[in-house]
Order: sequence, then C-alpha cells, then structure tokens
Amino acid sequence: MILDANSIQNGTELHADVCVVGGGPAGIALTLSLSERGLSVLMLESGQLEEDKKTQSLYEGEVADERLHSPPDKYRQRRLGGSSAIWGGRCMPFDPIDFETRSHVPHSGWPLSYDDLLPYYPQANALAEAGRFSYDAGEAFGPQLEPLIRGFDSPRVRTSGLERFSCPTHFGTRYAKRLQLAPGVQVLLGANCTAVRLQADGQAVRSLEVATLAGTRFVVTPRAAVLAAGGLETARLLLASRDVTPAGVGNFHDVVGRYYMCHIAGNVGMLTVQGPTRNVRHGYEVAPEGIYCRRRLSVTATEQRRLGLANAVARLHFPRITDPAHRNGVLSGLFLARRLISYEYGKRLNDGNATSPGHYARHLFNVVADPMDTTAFLGHWLLRRSLAERKFPSVILRNRTNRFSLEVHGEQMPQAGSRVTLTDKVDALGMPQLRVDWRYSQADIDSVRGTLDVLVQEFAQSGVASFDYNRDTLEEDIMRFGAYGGHHIGTARMGRDPRTSVVDADCRVHSVCNLFVAGSAVFPTSSQANPTLTLIAMSLRLGEHLARRLHAEHAAPVGACA
Amino acid sequence: MRILRVLVLGGSGHIGSQLVEALKSTPWAVPVSASRSTVGTGHANVETMRVDSRDVQALTSALEDFDAVVNCVAGDARSISEGARVLVQAALGTQCRRIVHLSTMSVYGPVEGLVREDTALNPSLGWYGQAKCDAEKHMREFARRGGEVVVLRPGCVFGPGSELWVGRVGRWLQTGRLGDLGVAGDGWSNLVHVDDVCQALMAALQLPVRPGDMPVFNLAAPDSPRWNDYFVDLALALQATLVPRIGPRQLRLDALLAGPPLKVMQLAFKRLGRPTSGLPDPMPPGLLRLWAQHIHLDATQAAQKLRVTWTPYAVGLQSSADWFVGKKAERTPPLDKAICIP
Repeated sequence: MILDANSIQNGTELHADVCVVGGGPAGIALTLSLSERGLSVLMLESGQLEEDKKTQSLYEGEVADERLHSPPDKYRQRRLGGSSAIWGGRCMPFDPIDFETRSHVPHSGWPLSYDDLLPYYPQANALAEAGRFSYDAGEAFGPQLEPLIRGFDSPRVRTSGLERFSCPTHFGTRYAKRLQLAPGVQVLLGANCTAVRLQADGQAVRSLEVATLAGTRFVVTPRAAVLAAGGLETARLLLASRDVTPAGVGNFHDVVGRYYMCHIAGNVGMLTVQGPTRNVRHGYEVAPEGIYCRRRLSVTATEQRRLGLANAVARLHFPRITDPAHRNGVLSGLFLARRLISYEYGKRLNDGNATSPGHYARHLFNVVADPMDTTAFLGHWLLRRSLAERKFPSVILRNRTNRFSLEVHGEQMPQAGSRVTLTDKVDALGMPQLRVDWRYSQADIDSVRGTLDVLVQEFAQSGVASFDYNRDTLEEDIMRFGAYGGHHIGTARMGRDPRTSVVDADCRVHSVCNLFVAGSAVFPTSSQANPTLTLIAMSLRLGEHLARRLHAEHAAPVGACA
Repeated sequence: MRILRVLVLGGSGHIGSQLVEALKSTPWAVPVSASRSTVGTGHANVETMRVDSRDVQALTSALEDFDAVVNCVAGDARSISEGARVLVQAALGTQCRRIVHLSTMSVYGPVEGLVREDTALNPSLGWYGQAKCDAEKHMREFARRGGEVVVLRPGCVFGPGSELWVGRVGRWLQTGRLGDLGVAGDGWSNLVHVDDVCQALMAALQLPVRPGDMPVFNLAAPDSPRWNDYFVDLALALQATLVPRIGPRQLRLDALLAGPPLKVMQLAFKRLGRPTSGLPDPMPPGLLRLWAQHIHLDATQAAQKLRVTWTPYAVGLQSSADWFVGKKAERTPPLDKAICIP
C-alpha cells in the first residue's frame, strides 16, 4: 500500500524485514523483488508522485565549480520514481571489461563479474521497458539491417553495439499500482530518512530516523536497511549519520563520498563518409518489439587493454548547436528556444560563451532560410515525441552531407580527490547539505584522445570515411559543459578491501552487518554506459541476496546478524 | 474399470470440442457431445446430440443414460444462468449425479492481488460475471441437494482454437490496435492453455467429492505473464511488428467510439446472413478494465488436487501462434462459440 508519512503517528516505531530508503528505479526494483520473495518491505520516499518545490529544495547544496558540475538539486528528482521522472531513457548494459581489474584504470575491478550480473539484466530491461535484452545489432535486427557505415569493417572498432531506449519510463507512475498491491509492501510518501542509527558497537543498524516536512517524526527498525537514495544522497546520509561513528557510517577509511564519477562527454571532430548519404545509418532503428535503438562506435575490449584506454563510445552526431556556422534551421531553432527547455535538457545548448545580437541573427537566419526542414522537424517532433507514448529519443537531423561530429561518452578514471562532502549549512530537516567537488583528470582526456586516434586510423584504413579532430582543443570540447549530468557514480564503491571500498560484493556496508546500498553509488568504475539499467540489475541481484539471507536468518532478532 | 458416460454440453465450442477429443482417447470415459444449434461437431467416432440446455424436459431425457455432465455452455446471460438452473433441475431428476461446471475468474469481479478460491464472489462487473455467479449458485444448490459438483474457474483460455484470446487479439495486433499498453496492460493475463483446462475437467470428473461439498479450482498457469508481455510475445510470434506502444487515449477511442458502431455492423451482418469475418473486431470496453486489473489467480489447488501439469507459457504461445497462422485462410468461427465473453 502507499500512504502519506504524515498519517503515521509521531514517535511510532515501525518494523519491516527490509526498509528501502528511496523510491527511484533502484528502490522500486528492489522493493518489488523483495515482495515477490515473501519479505515485508517499508519504502521511505521523500517526495510524492508529483514534483514538490519544498521537497526538491532538500537537495540543494554547493558545487566546487559550477562550470564542471551542475548544482546538486539539478538532474535529480525527489519524488516517487526518482530521477526517472526526467531521464532520457538510454539503456545499455556494462561491458564485461568494465568489471575487470585493468592496470591502466586505477582503482578498477569489481568484486563481481559481468556473468554474475547477466542473469538480472533481462528483467531490468523489462522494468525499464526497453524491450528484449539484446544489445547487438546483428542479433536484434538480423542480417538485413544496413551497416552503420557501409564498407566500414574494422577489427579494432565495433559498430554493432546497441543502445536501447526506454519510453522513457517514469518508474513512479508506471509501477505505483504494483507497489500499491505488492504483498507486504508499505510505501510512505513524504518520508525523509534523516539518519541511520547504529547499535553502540557500530556493527548493525538499530533504526532509521524519519521526518516529514510537516513535522512528523518516527523511526523504522528493520532487519535490514537499504539505502537506494541515489549516488549523491546515499553518501550524504552515510556521512551525516555520525552519532556512533564520527566520520559517518561505513567511513572508517574515509572512502564514503570519494571516487565520485560522472561521464566524460562532448562533441568532437568531423567524420566524413564517402559516397551517397544512404551509406550511413546515423539515426534510430526500431526493433521488432517497437523499441528505438541506436548503434555506436566503440574500441574493442582487446584494443582497450592493449592501448590502455578507458571504455568509451561515440555516436554519429550533428555539429555544435551553439555555433550558427552549421547553417541548420533545426539546430538554430533549438538554440533560440533553449530557454523554454528544462535545465537538464537545455544545458548543452548553452556553452557559456557570450551571445551577441549578431550571433542571434545568424541563428534566426538559419531558421528562416531552412523553413521546410524546420517545419518537418517540428511535425515529426510533435507526433513522434510530444504526443507519442514511446518517445523518439533525441534530435536526429536528416543526413544531407555525410558529415558528422562524434558525440563521445566515456568512462572516467576513479580518483579519490573527486568527492562529495558535507557543508555546515543544513536543509529544512536539519540535514547537512552536500558539497560536490567533481574532478576529472588528464588521464580521462588522454583516454578519449586515444579512442579517437583509433577511430582516425581505422576510418583512414577503411578508405570509406575519414575522421579528424583538433587535438589541441579536445579538452575544451569535452569539458565545455562539464560532467555529464545525472550520472552519479562511485560514492559508496564496491570492493573486497574495506580500506578502499564501502560495500562488499553483496552491496553490504563492510562494517555494518545489515546495511546495504542499492544504486550507482556502489559502482567502482563508471563504464561507457549510462548507469540506470545496471543499477536496476544490481538492485534485483541485491533483492535475491537479501531474500536468501533473511529467510535463512528468519528467527534472528535485529542486530544479531553480526 | 468403470466406464463413465459423459455428456459434454457446449461440445461444439472451443473447450467443449477439445474436451470431447481428450475424453475420447481415455479408456475410462465415453463422451457424447451436445449442443443447441448443431449436431455436426466434426468429431469422428463420437456420438453427438442436439439439446437445448434451457429446455428442462429435453435435458432431463438427454441425461438419462449419463453418469456425468460437463457444462461448457457459453452464450448470453440467459443461456449461462438459466441453462445452469435447468441443468441442475434436470440432473436431480435423473441418475446423473455429477456435474463439472466451467465457470470463470470473472466471478471475482474487480478484486486485485492474489486470488484464491475462497475469495468472495462479486458480480458487479457486468452481465457476464453476474450470469456466471448465478450459475455457480445453482451448482451450489445441486451440491446441497445431494449431487456431486466440481467448479472450475479458468482465467483466459488460450491455445489452438481460442478466438477470444488468440484470434481477435492477433487481429488487433496485426492491425496496430493493440501492442504494449504500459500501465493499461499491466494486469496479469491468467492465461491457461486449453489442454490444461481439459486436463482439469477430466480430473474433476474423477475427483472424489464429499456429500454437500462443492470443490472449486482456479485455473491459470503459474507462468502466465502480464498482458503487455503476452501481447508483445504474440505479436513477435505472428510477426505483427513493429509492436506499437498504445496510450490509454487511443484504447478508449477504439473501445468507446469505434466499438459500438462496429458491434452494430457485426450484428447487422449476422442478421443479413453475411459473414462477419471481414469486419474489424469491436474492442469491448470491459477488456480495457481487464487488461489493467491486477488479479492474479492462485491455481495451487488445481495443481495439487487435480494434478494439472501446466503447459509452459512458451509452448502455449507457440501453439497459439501456429494455430493463428494456420487458420488464416479459413473462415473465422463466430465468437459466440467461445467460452468467456467479458
């Protein structure tokens, strides 16, 4: 059932097998999984179904450099469904190499393998409404699918990797009824977990403190607690719970909040394909089950290992929107309309450069000079995106010149100095706010450069295309908009060694026997892939683990797990 | 071994006809197929008879030589409810001591969640659920008056021959009127293969029943998926691609706006004696409710006491798709031959 937390009497102590903090994709997937396995679950969700300004402002905090990272209340939604209320829906699994310990990627290596996670991906894909778990174009579409670039066949560069797109599914509205009906599940809306209280010995969760903005306060004493509050908020909650362990829960070795990663992303270079435009399939294909899919370029795992590259993909993209030199009416129209677009989707339409009246005039000229394309685009957008149930994922322009920029999305090397910490300022519930100090390294840029160099060589080798980019401006091109928004990774990283990680392979906080973390906070490395699909798969895996464990310990009282 | 003579009412329908075939191959039963409208049911080496199940005298005389009767009668509310009353009355006047009655999950009404057989009946969902609840009441009266009765409540019966859950669904998928419905198709399908229903009916004929009892069994395969999964799977199996995502607005327009005129056309064609197979199938508004209803039948009792071994979903899906593709060239049988009309 779903209740408002204000309906709980002040001072009440609630019990459940598992208390899940956070009702985003991770929390919802986990809760449904636990319910199916016969456990009682109490889900604490700070928000309601709709966005609420006061609740959203609980996310406010600081960033060390606004040019590098968005304010903490952006790209996150504090409501049932979490940030899936605004996500773009891009899904793809991590690659097997992401789980490996790679000498060229410091602090890499997961305590589990791709094969350990593989069984959970198909269900994760289904929950995300991204169709079949099939991420190879040949497998998903068969041999009749035209190649990404006709004639380009490289042993070093893969072109058949797919990304699939969710509707994008808002997990709150999509799964509210399942949560409402799930046996043993109680969802409390407006319930903010403000502290994790440990037993005196610090080895088990005693209770979770809960507060509502209306002033109701109560506690939950679960057999196991799972923090599924997102990559930033989970770290905040751990760090802010300092009564028994002064450095914060699970933070004996000062790892919580460190190794914070996003993705390195930007538009670079110019790919020119020979021959007619039909030689290139740069846009979306639709899989038989109706799912938008798109192919990407990636350097093979073997080559990544050989050349010491981090993982990355590149998509065929249009020129930089902000520069009117592209002479494209659609892109200029988007630029001119950027103030009407939400912060999250408009961010990459504003590169921070001063916009002169002449600049505006050139964009306006592009729109006026290109009325047919602009009108066709608007019609397509209205029908296929605004009014469609399954939305066309992004702007794709008609290929008229066989020239593309490459949109790079790359893994970031984990580094301890990239971190989130608490500030002295508190929110309306007395919780210390976050300060985000996201950093990238020269190694990140060098790795993207290495990937692009492979593409340069392989396209030149193929004879069907050429790719060129400016090595001198690469860092500027990649960092123009700072960290890729919304991917909050690594703040409670997983590992075998408690000195360099926060949770173990079962997502359990090393030092606390019944405290777990679900979500991208546990990822020790970030992959090339967007994190949502993998964090759902990880949550399903955690659900299975918790059920096995709690059923086995059924008679054990709270805290006896140590 | 005692040979049972079994009268199958509704023997020319989807389930009835397959039950007759299944009974025919057993050493312990001799089936006779009975139906109202036609004598020829296509069964080789099976006795058939024409019986109006609402005529108590005709039914009493038909039941004289039988040990058991299986009630697979479909049709309008009167056929279902009045037919059950007449059947009970007729059986009480003969030596036929056992009725196996095919009911439906619709008797549970709008309830959601896991539903066991002891869940209260709720006839609020329309004429069909009401008629089926009434029919069960008559069956209970039969048990109270010394008869033996077993009631089966199947979910949605698919597999070869299922016009309702394969035929028309396939046509809706092929014409883009159905696909992935999102929240509107998140209900459990409670699909059960027609072979499994026949299995359960045959086990029910032999189930020991204590005097006064009326054993009831839900029938739904434990691995039956949610409606969206079934629609997408069937569409892929039929190559009815690309599967569209259909919003609630389009569904409502189809059911509420296009539905009534299509239904009127269907009736008019029937009255004029013209085939209706070329007409688009109207989408009954009740289906929109059903597809979104999170009712999950618990069929544990059927597995335990009737020893039903469920056809795996993938096998049922494939056999359904094969039947759909195979019958394409054939004339579509009318829907009123089917068992469940929500």
